[in-house]
Amino acid sequence: MNRLRRRPLAFWAGLAAAVLSLLVPIALNDSQLTVYVFIGLSVIVVAGLSLLMGFAGQVSLGQAAFYAIGAYTAAILTRALEVPPLLSLAAATAFTAVVAVAVGLPLLRLRGHYLAFATLAFQLIVLSVIGEARGLTGGDTGMPGIPTLSIGPLAIQGQYRTFIYAYVTWVLVAAVLLFNRNLVRSRPGRGLRALATSEAGALAAGVPVVRYKLQVFALSAAYAGLAGGVYAFFVSYIAPGSFPVLLSVQFLIMAAVGGLGSIWGSAVGATVVYLLVQLLQSLGTGPGLPPQLPAILSYAVYGLVLVLIMLFLPQGLLPAIQGRISARRAVSAVESPARLARLD
Amino acid sequence: MTLFLQYAVSGIATGCTFALVATGFVVIYRVSRVVNFAQGVFAVVAGMAVSSFLSRGLPHGPAEVLAVALAALAGLVVGVIAIGRRGTPPLASLIITLGLGIGSYAVIILIWGDQPVSFTGLAGLARMGGISVQYQFLLVVAVTAVTFGLLSLFFDHTYLGKALTACSSNPYAARLVGIDVRRMGLLAFTLGGALGGLAGVLITPLQPVSFDSDVGIAINGFAAAIFGGLLRPGTALVGALVLGVAEALVAGYYRASFESGVALVVMLGLMVWQAGRRSPAAEEGA
Repeated sequence: MNRLRRRPLAFWAGLAAAVLSLLVPIALNDSQLTVYVFIGLSVIVVAGLSLLMGFAGQVSLGQAAFYAIGAYTAAILTRALEVPPLLSLAAATAFTAVVAVAVGLPLLRLRGHYLAFATLAFQLIVLSVIGEARGLTGGDTGMPGIPTLSIGPLAIQGQYRTFIYAYVTWVLVAAVLLFNRNLVRSRPGRGLRALATSEAGALAAGVPVVRYKLQVFALSAAYAGLAGGVYAFFVSYIAPGSFPVLLSVQFLIMAAVGGLGSIWGSAVGATVVYLLVQLLQSLGTGPGLPPQLPAILSYAVYGLVLVLIMLFLPQGLLPAIQGRISARRAVSAVESPARLARLD
Repeated sequence: MTLFLQYAVSGIATGCTFALVATGFVVIYRVSRVVNFAQGVFAVVAGMAVSSFLSRGLPHGPAEVLAVALAALAGLVVGVIAIGRRGTPPLASLIITLGLGIGSYAVIILIWGDQPVSFTGLAGLARMGGISVQYQFLLVVAVTAVTFGLLSLFFDHTYLGKALTACSSNPYAARLVGIDVRRMGLLAFTLGGALGGLAGVLITPLQPVSFDSDVGIAINGFAAAIFGGLLRPGTALVGALVLGVAEALVAGYYRASFESGVALVVMLGLMVWQAGRRSPAAEEGA
């Protein structure tokens, strides 16, 4: 009964968000469109990270490394080996997932904080490998001249380049979010939700705990790889400096703000945090202001947001708002529970 | 051979500072089950504070002690925020300490700027068995040895130390006998802060620290700490010394830029090895 009453609201809200996100690019200028693309790419990464943290109870501090692997794989395949961009993008996604399986296979048997440090270490290793492998990656100076996305003779370029990239990105965002939604409602999704409540309980009920965790980890890496690939095609220049540890932290903050395990929350979290950082950057850079001010402001805000969200809104921004609305409508609790309770 | 000894001695000295950071991790983790991502920050804060105190005219000695006290206070603050609120799950606390670590960058840049900071420690060289050793190295080793001695006395022979150990082995039983587990957790954070600060005070004369040096310091400390499964300070000490010497040898004989890679690879290797010996179900109850 509750489902019947609740569904239309969620459906219309989703539809409205989808239509809005498709209409927004028309009203934006080129630099705003660039921001829009970057937000979309962040949403894709965060959608995976949120799934990993919310359901598998694992913290990854290395999502930017997967982002980098996706970007470099796509770039190297198209530039050096002249593979068609679309195929490179698919290959980048798949390769990132394979790397995640290789890394996660041993590590996901350990408790959450081990993966946090391991992924941090992994990112530092990836960055130094990229920096050392000069022949392949251009080293620390980076890789310029990455071709743009194209299907056969149709390449994304010219006057409407950013505009088209905005649509490409947000179509991918929609696909990723829908995939997540369907995944959570499927049979493996039920297993994942059981896993999110109690690992031992899920194991006892026959949920292949380690395999599911590994698959979620691989999926989150694949999303990051996909976003990284699009990033490489979009900006056409990548360097190790584009993927600092701070970027991983930023993804983590976005996931926490959106609500761990909340599917639509990833979009909200990524958008809110990205715009907040942009706003601070523009406030902090001006004549007469100290050059370190933008850095100070962003570090302070990163820290503050992360701490405050974890302490006072551990279920995240969107689920908290949803909770308010559904409490007012006297409908049963929102679909995404406060999963942090079991982040053990 | 002389070269080897030279590298080994400098490795032992840096290993000692890793050991102090690692013990900070262990002390905090044992009691609160929180891995404190801000552990490296304490070292940075203390190192930078010493250089400020010295430039204000404070002599060596008081400057170092004051800096360690400041780091202990920072530890307490991190502890209050990370575990002060009842019912914060450990992994949420981990994310909170990460947030505090990032947030501290803002404070550090605001106070000390974004350039590396250093100060001169003990000057001079000692001749030992054909090699020359900086006095600072000897100081580091001596202070670490004394600290570990005091820590072992503290944990084995005082009520407070035993209460901390009780909290780590069984928090529920500890509460039953009247130990305030949360207060013990805060005490552990304070102690962890002081240990991190001590490491920073000792290492800053050897290698300048900047606001983001904490990641490297924390990674080395954590890698050493997981030698002992994050629970045993003694094994962490051994791990730290092995790690320090290995890094010095890699940097000396191979390439300096691979120095930090050693800790990363050792850490991942150890984790993989430990993973092979545990089942996920046993982990949850632990």
